[in-house]
Amino acid sequence: MELGPIWRSMMRSKGGYVLIALQIAVTMAIMVNAIAIMQERSIKMARPSGIDEANTFGVVSVGFKPDMDEKALIQEDLDLLRNLPGVVNAIETNSFPLRQGGWSEGLHREPGVGKSVSSSAIYFVDEHGLETFALNLIDGENFSPQQVSWDSDSPDFWPSTVIITQALGEDLFPDEEGTYVGKTFWFNDENPANIVGVVERLQAPWPTWTGVERSMLVPLRRESEFARYVVRTEPGSREEVILQVEELLSSSNKDRIIRAVETADGARKLAYLGDAAMIKILTFVVSLLTAITGLGIVGLASFSVARRTRQIGIRRALGATKAAIVRYFMLENFLVSSIGIVAGGILAVGLNILMVQAFALTPLAWYIIPAAMLVLWVVGQVAVAGPARRASGISPAIATRSS
Amino acid sequence: MFRYYLKLGSLSIRANPVLSVLMVAAIAIGIGACMTIMTVRHVMSGNPVEHKNDQLYHVQVDNWNPDDPYEDPNGAPVQVTYLDARALHDAGRAFRQTTSFKTSRVVQPDSEDARPFQEESRATTADFFPMFDVPFLFGSGWNRSSDETLEQVVVVSRELNEKLFGGENSVGRTLMLNDEAYRVVGVLDTWNPVPKFYDVNNNPFEAPAQLFLPFSVAIAGSFDNNGNTSCWKPTPEGSGREGFLASECIWIQMWVELQNASAKQDYMSFLDAYVEEQKLLGRFPRPLNNHLRNPAEWMEYNEIVDDEVDVLLSLAALFLVVCLLNTIGLLLAKAARSSKNTSLRRALGASKAELFKQHIIEAGMIGIAGGLLGIGMTWIGLRGIEHLFVEYDFMQHLVRMDWTMVMLAVALAIISALSAALYPTWRTCNITPASHLRLQ
Amino acid sequence: MLKMKNVSKVYRTDTVETHALREFSLTVEEGEFVSVTGPSGSGKTTFLNIAGLLEDLTSGTYELDGRDISKLNDKERSHVRNEKIGFIFQSFNLIPELDIFDNVDVPLRYRGFKADERKRRIEQSIEMVGLGSRMRHLPAQLSGGQQQRVAIARALAGEPRFLLADEPTGNLDSQMADSVLDLLGEINDAGTTIIMVTHELGLADRARRNIFVRDGQVSDGAPELHLANLAAG
Repeated sequence: MELGPIWRSMMRSKGGYVLIALQIAVTMAIMVNAIAIMQERSIKMARPSGIDEANTFGVVSVGFKPDMDEKALIQEDLDLLRNLPGVVNAIETNSFPLRQGGWSEGLHREPGVGKSVSSSAIYFVDEHGLETFALNLIDGENFSPQQVSWDSDSPDFWPSTVIITQALGEDLFPDEEGTYVGKTFWFNDENPANIVGVVERLQAPWPTWTGVERSMLVPLRRESEFARYVVRTEPGSREEVILQVEELLSSSNKDRIIRAVETADGARKLAYLGDAAMIKILTFVVSLLTAITGLGIVGLASFSVARRTRQIGIRRALGATKAAIVRYFMLENFLVSSIGIVAGGILAVGLNILMVQAFALTPLAWYIIPAAMLVLWVVGQVAVAGPARRASGISPAIATRSS
Repeated sequence: MFRYYLKLGSLSIRANPVLSVLMVAAIAIGIGACMTIMTVRHVMSGNPVEHKNDQLYHVQVDNWNPDDPYEDPNGAPVQVTYLDARALHDAGRAFRQTTSFKTSRVVQPDSEDARPFQEESRATTADFFPMFDVPFLFGSGWNRSSDETLEQVVVVSRELNEKLFGGENSVGRTLMLNDEAYRVVGVLDTWNPVPKFYDVNNNPFEAPAQLFLPFSVAIAGSFDNNGNTSCWKPTPEGSGREGFLASECIWIQMWVELQNASAKQDYMSFLDAYVEEQKLLGRFPRPLNNHLRNPAEWMEYNEIVDDEVDVLLSLAALFLVVCLLNTIGLLLAKAARSSKNTSLRRALGASKAELFKQHIIEAGMIGIAGGLLGIGMTWIGLRGIEHLFVEYDFMQHLVRMDWTMVMLAVALAIISALSAALYPTWRTCNITPASHLRLQ
Repeated sequence: MLKMKNVSKVYRTDTVETHALREFSLTVEEGEFVSVTGPSGSGKTTFLNIAGLLEDLTSGTYELDGRDISKLNDKERSHVRNEKIGFIFQSFNLIPELDIFDNVDVPLRYRGFKADERKRRIEQSIEMVGLGSRMRHLPAQLSGGQQQRVAIARALAGEPRFLLADEPTGNLDSQMADSVLDLLGEINDAGTTIIMVTHELGLADRARRNIFVRDGQVSDGAPELHLANLAAG
């Protein structure tokens, strides 16, 4: 193909071509980074929380009268909840994954309050916690009812047995082999914790926390006018159970109010609202950008064809077939696109380095670059196809017109 | 000549309708993208007490773990303990001071059939209202003596007043909160400081509390803290509520009002002396690390403006660059179309400078049109953002355009159009008189 | 070699029908130098376009080397133009962004010759028109006469069956015109068929045979008579 002449001819009137190449380069830089961000967010949002989200919800009871028997109320409520048809199990706890509010503790290998070696989210549960959170116990065993106590009953706040997640184990005991069951760590200088069980996964309430996979179950019931119940239902029963629970709990005791129910997947949606929005915004931006650049190419190509009408006629007169004319413009565009795309790739990497530094994004995956290159090549060729077709329709008789 | 060039500009625009529309659209879209994000950022970095910024200060003292700073490398805790809040407040060394925390109360409306409901509340001291210029519709805040006597008074928000008392002047009326009677002393006017600078701990953009009651009453009543509580060592075993109040747990926000720079210095010295005193009692094991930050500094320290916004802003700026490159291409095409015209003008005596002025003015007109359309695009963009975040109530404040943003949009559009026009105009000016006229 | 028989060309718009050529017949033998003359509007440009396969004819036949080329499709016509015809235009029609070498190269690329074959032919034809030292110059850097020579080189490089020249000296001063016409004469002496279309009588003189066109029709036979008439009026 006539690469040499096309190149030399382009070099002689660079202006318009440099413009297109620049536009493609910047488009490429934006596109690659936008896709990288979208990918990072998608991966983040896809992480499972460890609980049976579709069938789990939380409801809060707020007592407001003085001298309430909070212990009795909580026990009553739990009995009621656990016996409802459609309910698998229920617990009174402080939070659940992705709720964006909860409790965390710094942990130590030795008794003391110095710098902690690890940290974990805390979920206060009883022996029904494993089933309510639908957790997968991969080592050790669940709490026995004897191991669960009320905080108001014991002088020691922290119980001595805990169940941890695999990730917490790895963080607490990074170079140790074998099971975590039986190992001990310290909450502070006075409270040791012995690990009796390990679950596969349970996320912390905070999705952006680097330690989001580090959680522990603590066998403690808390006596308080604020009680949060987390309920797990049979598949498909959640809607119905929620309605029943709201009504039953509201009417069973007038000294407390029942706050609006929070579903676990509702919490997920709120927790990742920003990320989901970012993905949608970037998708829109990338699409718009591609359209603008595509249209820009169409425009400049049409203009370029119009300016070279005579030249096209001459070529046809000299024997170029229509296909040859189309090929000429496709090739010319391919050359310009390629320069823009390669420059764009370099720009994209540079931009990514800057953004990783400034905003702590994850560095982009290498394969996004060739993917974006392919897209832009195709867009360029599709964009120039129309003007190229029109160019091929120019009559060779133009050559004999006295200009 | 300026008016003449305006006329030429509008003739040229009309003679090339498609190209002109495309140019205006390209600029408008680029401006729309940038201004949408800029608006959100502008609101997020606002300062509701800008007029008093140099008089209000957030107090930080470092009572934290000797082996582990609150925040690397040596950040002081962002809240204070009850011990320190009480001691510093009672010392009364500032012109005004306030200690507060977020809590909640269950409101029990009068009528039998109305169900009780929970409302977010703030436990604070009397000075809170004058310090932060909180506007009142009826009545006022309580005075310092009410703090001391643990008077059960309450200030309600405008919305809550609508809900409970139909919007009337409810000053003097009784409100039942958690089975206790409170007397309404004030009703706030609409008040939505964005960001909620006085407490940025959980969501700096959420609405303020609906109820305000005295700090001392909340402490005596053991109201729960709905904000963040952080402790670096456990409270002594079995000590319960007293133990918590005597602990090193931080959960209270403290602000002071100091009228001038020397007052600030004085207060700083006072803080240092206080900490030194406490050290003798065995507290404050870390080296002296006290801070007084004004609202602007405080918000910056807490990184109120999300990085997400800046990520989008960078991409939006590059997007504008692409739109401008597009515009340059369109301008080149337009210039080529009117090259004969240009040649003619040169032949008839126009200098390069005159041609430059003519085309730059035309570009400016396109810029203004692009800016005006860009405002519309920005409005659409903001509605889009609002829709994406419809679950966040507070978002409605962040997507509001003010006049500053409108003018910025137009200015940005004009500057963009002029920059885009530089190269094509330069090319046009270099057209020689003869080049495009068909001379024998 | 070239045979046009009863060729007609009609342009139709919504309102008007123009008969540019009527029953036009012409036969040209190998090695001839024929000029086709006539006033403006006589149809000679249409003849040129049809002879050069730049337009198709409405009726009649056009045979080149025994092959009927009036009914070919666009692709085939392009090939014929490329291989059999060498164009020389009034306004030279060189591509301004390409240098001399690349300009002469254009039809050879469409021919499909390999790079060394093309190089050989280009260098040879540029040498032949005396512009060997200007191979990498742009058209804008050459005089009118030189540009036309380049066009001639371009036309010859493919060894066409005949050259089709349209007012080859129309944009040249008399001195340049003479040298171009001399060059054409030399080329014809060397054996290349030339058909030249012009309205200038002086040019027609240079050809060996003259065809006169008026109102779309040819009047051959007694060319001298017509020439004499033209000279008088």
